[in-house]
Amino acid sequence: MEDYKELNSRIDEVLRAEKENQIPRMTKRDYIIAAVITGLSLIGIIWGFFL
Amino acid sequence: MSPKHDVNKEIENEVYCGTLPVLPKERKYGFIDALLVLSGYCIATWSYTQGSYLATLVGFKQLLIGAFLAAIFMLMIYQLPVIMSVRYGIDIWIWLRSVFGTKGVKIVTVIIIIVNFPWYAVCCELFASSMENLLALFGVHLFNGAHLVLSLSCVVIGTIIALRGVGTITWTTRILVPLLLLVGVAVVVVGFTSVPMDVIWNYQPELAGDADKTVNYVLNIEANFAFVITLVGGMAEVPRLCKSEKSGYYAGVLGQGAAGSFFVVVGAVMAIAMQYVTGQMVEDPTLMLATLSTPILALASLLLVAFANIGTQAVGSYIYGVMLKSTFKKSSYKVLVLVLGLYVGILCVWGKIEEYFGSFLTISACVYAPLAALLFVDFFFVRKQKIDLKSAYEEEGHNAYVYSKGFNIVGAVCLALGFAFSLIIYDPIKSVVHNKILFMLTPTGASLLFTAILYYLLCKIPGIRRYVRRDTYASPDKKPFDRAKVPPRQNIIFLPLMWLLCKLALSPYKLKIDKKNMEGIKPPFLVYGSHNSFMDFYVTPLALKPYRANYISELEGFENFGEWIYRQAGCLGTRKFINDQSLIRNIARVTKRGDIMVIYPEARYANVGTNSHLTPSIAKLAKMLKVPVVTLNMQGNYLQQPIWNLKERKGARLHAELKCVVTQDEIGKLSVDEILSRISKELTYDEYTYQLENNIVIDDPWRAEGLHYPLYRCRKCGKDFAMTSSGSRITCKFCGDSYEMDELGQLHSSTGEIIHIPDWYEWQRGFVHEEIREGRYKLDIPVRVEALPNSVNFIDCGEGRLVQDNDGFALTFNNYRTEKYETLRFPAKSMVSLHTEYDYRGKFGPCVTLSTYDDTFFIYPTDESRDVFNPTKIQFATEFLGGLYS
Repeated sequence: MEDYKELNSRIDEVLRAEKENQIPRMTKRDYIIAAVITGLSLIGIIWGFFL
Repeated sequence: MSPKHDVNKEIENEVYCGTLPVLPKERKYGFIDALLVLSGYCIATWSYTQGSYLATLVGFKQLLIGAFLAAIFMLMIYQLPVIMSVRYGIDIWIWLRSVFGTKGVKIVTVIIIIVNFPWYAVCCELFASSMENLLALFGVHLFNGAHLVLSLSCVVIGTIIALRGVGTITWTTRILVPLLLLVGVAVVVVGFTSVPMDVIWNYQPELAGDADKTVNYVLNIEANFAFVITLVGGMAEVPRLCKSEKSGYYAGVLGQGAAGSFFVVVGAVMAIAMQYVTGQMVEDPTLMLATLSTPILALASLLLVAFANIGTQAVGSYIYGVMLKSTFKKSSYKVLVLVLGLYVGILCVWGKIEEYFGSFLTISACVYAPLAALLFVDFFFVRKQKIDLKSAYEEEGHNAYVYSKGFNIVGAVCLALGFAFSLIIYDPIKSVVHNKILFMLTPTGASLLFTAILYYLLCKIPGIRRYVRRDTYASPDKKPFDRAKVPPRQNIIFLPLMWLLCKLALSPYKLKIDKKNMEGIKPPFLVYGSHNSFMDFYVTPLALKPYRANYISELEGFENFGEWIYRQAGCLGTRKFINDQSLIRNIARVTKRGDIMVIYPEARYANVGTNSHLTPSIAKLAKMLKVPVVTLNMQGNYLQQPIWNLKERKGARLHAELKCVVTQDEIGKLSVDEILSRISKELTYDEYTYQLENNIVIDDPWRAEGLHYPLYRCRKCGKDFAMTSSGSRITCKFCGDSYEMDELGQLHSSTGEIIHIPDWYEWQRGFVHEEIREGRYKLDIPVRVEALPNSVNFIDCGEGRLVQDNDGFALTFNNYRTEKYETLRFPAKSMVSLHTEYDYRGKFGPCVTLSTYDDTFFIYPTDESRDVFNPTKIQFATEFLGGLYS
């Protein structure tokens, strides 16, 4: 029962934190940077075929 | 065992606390902390094995591209979903319950461990080789079988350390990571100083005559994809401790893609240097240090590597032991660690894990690639970054992820097909490429892509989406349906398939279509059809053949069958009984582009097989469009599947009459009343009269079941909601008055009276009108509310209250749009009728719907109001108050 209460209160707190963005989110800019790095890596891999 | 050191208790605590969501205030790791921890996990002696394996495939430059760029490319994609771990403070195994089901995830965990644990056999093999090689350097030659004894001793010692629990493991880790770093530094220094730089830079492997350089390069990329992707299982615990999504994500990418890959390159440098000096390529850092450096350094490195391998084995046993323990809660941690030790021991006895290193890597990746794809698509496109945590933790009453007895069939099928797909491309055991084109994507990449597309498309199919998204309430799609979207023409390729489907569906019912006044009538024209059952949608396309048409459909159909397929079928989505100007514009577009527009003007199925009154608006629309008006009166469709019992009656016979009632010449000349009169005349029907006149025998023994929904008032005692039905009888619960429904659809009382069902139905209507006129009518009941904002999902709005009186409806409930408990009002004069269902999709029983422009609210009774909630009576009142029968 105590375990259940603990779990329940944690879930509620995590959901509240999610709603209030307490944990900083990946921003649009971060996603764009990730996409650029991914793209550059892919270009590098393709370039490797010609070495 | 002393109470101070109860390993089982410690582990149980670890498992319990290790699976609970970590709160924001408990987060320990910034980017640097997470990077160091993850780097530590990635640096192990198997990095050398990977490096020397790559050096057998490609030159140093291609090797660098593979080790860094391929690793980072794959990591950037498959690490993205770890932001979910950070956001909710949970590891991926909790989340995977939504993808595979609460029991299915257990099977996946075991599979992951089976394919992952051979890494630790590699450590044991390296340990044995190091010992043998170094002892040989000092002139000590061991007996036959000593290699196996040494590798097994690594398993045994590692297992014993793991059995001692958390404290010992923590200390092992603290010593292990710096030791491995030290070995790495020594290897780098010795490797780069022992041979000229250009030897390493320009290195090219000696390939066998039939070796294909491109295939080898792809294998190099594949090995790096596989290397990084298979480490995710052991790293799953870290991101949930991070303080921000970005730090968790980039720590994962760089921990493996930079630190891990660096040590792979170090392994390759070492192997290349050894080949240059000795002519033999080795993967053992101790042998290299002994050969290229001094014996003292070799001896020191022996101790370091020995401890590193044992430590890695111990940490691995611990991590996967805890993972198993959290999956199989009733099993003893010690037993689980011993089973893991036994598994590695068997692999050591087999003794070929290093020989099949590449194969093992690819097989592991064949499992991991679809897994990573499922995570990615599930997180971003299916669940849209939200899961139901209470269901994931299997809290009582939260069963969204139980699926089929604990297994998500869709996730399991995708995983299996993704695995099979990579094997179709490449056989990792025999190293045979089966499909060269797809092989260019690498087996891991192709499998990842295939599984991602497969899962995404499957989840677009409405039935599958509803199965997978049982947690829609956690992250519902609230975007309102785009009613203004221009409807496409009915798909010309789709049309023959549609006709075939209609023919098949209608084949048992001997449909006969008569066409009257249709000579020379070509599209565009307007069709007004009678509306009895879903059969209408099969009959209409055949009646209009060879032309294509557009249809108006309630949004609920879009949700049920999928928006794409409904659009291809030419449907225009709308909500019932609202003033939808966008719909009028789209209807005009359809006729302007020369197509047929089909409208079922009653906007609801006939309750007892008789027509509803039609409003002048349909005649006004015809005049506005200035196109011919055609009626389609379908008979038998109601008899085949009445709304009050959707079981099909095979005895029904169908007939349809397509008739032009207003020609192009007449449309401008006739008045609205004249047009309405013509349409109403042709759309007057009585299905029971049709049955009787045509002697259509429907002898199903359950033929009256459900009839109490439209016939709710007892003819004898006059009580409302008194009737019940069973088999072929309808009976009053209070006075016992009972009627037998014969095979021609007539009711017979015990006194021999014959009742025509529509007469009983209309008789009830009169009482409702009387109640309203006398000011006695009022409905005020608790209800259950679901909203349908679009073609994607229903949103549960919980319990509310429905009031209907002379002013119309007032629905009080938790409005998910405003997040307030509020009242929406639907004025009586704004609705001429009401959509009703008697057992909607088998969900919660009968229901009525009320619509705004952006939502349709499905309103069901609660347990408390079930006995007084009758859609037919509510509809009678709505139609009277709305002016349809005044």
